[in-house]
Amino acid sequence: MAASERKRSIIVGLFTFIGLIILVAGILVIGTQQNKFSKNLTVTTYFKDVKGLKVGNNVWFSGVKVGIIKEIGFESVENVRVIMNVEEKSSKFIRKDVIATLSSDGLIGNAIISLVGGTESFPQIKDGDEIKSGVSGGMDAMLATLQVNNENLVEITKNFAALSKNLLEGKGAVGAMMTDETIANNLKQSVSSLNGTMTQANQAVNNLVTLTNKLNSNQGLIHELSTDTAVFASLRESAAQLQGVTQTASALMSNLNQTTERLNDKDNAIGVLTNDPEAANEIKQILKNLNLSTEKLDQNMEALQSNFLLRGFFKKKAKEEAEAAKDSIN
Amino acid sequence: MAKKIETLLLEFAKIHRFLMRFFREVVSPPYEFKEIIRQCYEIGWKSFPLISLTGFIVGFVFTKQSRPSLEEFGAASWLPALISIAIVRALAPLVTALIASGKVGSQIGAELSSMNVTEQIDAMEVSGTNPFKFLIVSRIIATTTMIPVLCFYVAGIGLAGGYLSIISKDQLSILSFITQVFEAIAPKDIFAMVFRAIVFGFTIGFVSTYVGYYSSKGTEGVGKAANSAVVASMFIVFIEELLIVQVLALMG
Repeated sequence: MAASERKRSIIVGLFTFIGLIILVAGILVIGTQQNKFSKNLTVTTYFKDVKGLKVGNNVWFSGVKVGIIKEIGFESVENVRVIMNVEEKSSKFIRKDVIATLSSDGLIGNAIISLVGGTESFPQIKDGDEIKSGVSGGMDAMLATLQVNNENLVEITKNFAALSKNLLEGKGAVGAMMTDETIANNLKQSVSSLNGTMTQANQAVNNLVTLTNKLNSNQGLIHELSTDTAVFASLRESAAQLQGVTQTASALMSNLNQTTERLNDKDNAIGVLTNDPEAANEIKQILKNLNLSTEKLDQNMEALQSNFLLRGFFKKKAKEEAEAAKDSIN
Repeated sequence: MAKKIETLLLEFAKIHRFLMRFFREVVSPPYEFKEIIRQCYEIGWKSFPLISLTGFIVGFVFTKQSRPSLEEFGAASWLPALISIAIVRALAPLVTALIASGKVGSQIGAELSSMNVTEQIDAMEVSGTNPFKFLIVSRIIATTTMIPVLCFYVAGIGLAGGYLSIISKDQLSILSFITQVFEAIAPKDIFAMVFRAIVFGFTIGFVSTYVGYYSSKGTEGVGKAANSAVVASMFIVFIEELLIVQVLALMG
């Protein structure tokens, strides 16, 4: 009986003990998470607006939790006093010139205080210190930017609305195109003619293809030209000769040039002939006179032929000619 | 009508006398330590398997049921916080109290009322043992201490069940789970839990012993006492839950 009694007592004791361990463990875990048992420094800061910060919310430094908010109260009309507990073991990394800003630990998370900045040259924070508060970035800045974006978006959509209205009413090039039927018809025609052109272009390309195929085959002039070195050498030679020719031609041309220049001048015979209208008239006169003279000479000559003195000579000559003609026939 | 009110008032007076007598007896020696330990064994250890299993199932099922609605707005990662608030603040003491009032309450009610029927209580008085001290005080002390202990177990096991339910879908390390669970609750939540469990334990013990002690003589009195011990203690537990929630909300 006494043994079972003892056993029962032990079981009850153990049972209760383990139950209490669960409780104590829970309390300890919460306590450590909320810095109830670690040594803390009290640091004060002032905000104009704490935006729903609550006692017990976290204090972060460089994204690491270093403490919790201990007390929030009014200091004056403009200021809200925030007292926070900061772990002593983290305090050596936090400098006196650190700035407290409000932020949140997620998009819709709890409000927290985030300690920002701090320079090495400043001493570390001590118990009872007062630090500056800064303008919070993060969410608010983001929302402000978003607001600007929204305004731009409104402007853009407004412009689009005006644009689409114009389109609908047929204003402007695009609007006219979309609403005017004749333009559409023209466009259709253009497209169909373009289509025809394209077909022809296609044929041309096909021809080109056959041509290039031929060129590529081992026949034809081009191939010879591009492959035969002998032809190329001779071509080069002819080109060189051509160059010589052109040089000669160039010299000739310059001579000609000089000649024509001289022709243009009046101080030589041909120049006078070509350039002087008086001379031309005189020459014309001379030629006319000459013409008359030759006519008269012709008459004279005919008269001379019939002259007895010369008639024998001419008869003889005619006979010789007739014989020569006979010989050539035979 | 007047008679009914009179009976009710008399009942209240009886309850008040019973309560006062308990407080008197609990501080005055001799102390029945052995009997208290025996009752603790009966009430605490014997109902431990049932209550811990219930706690596990509650934690597991509650997590499983909460997941879809949290997932609906992409907050499945807040499950640990939700479970911890639900279990530590509300479910652990309540579930423990309900199961205990079913198991322990009926047991105490039936035991005391059958002692009453068989006149063992009178016999005890004759033999010089104080029956109130031996039967009532020891049981009330046992429930008042054991139900908070059971409640701690339920909280721990319920959270473990919740963790198992979470890792059946998500990958979550136990360390991360514990961090998130304890981030969501404050020390005052744990003290509220302990306070509640003590109140519920005392209520169950008190109601069951009162019903059993003053049960009507006869066989049907035993059944009636066992029944009303369960019903009354559960009912009062709920009313107390309501009041405590209000008071704690006022205290912040």
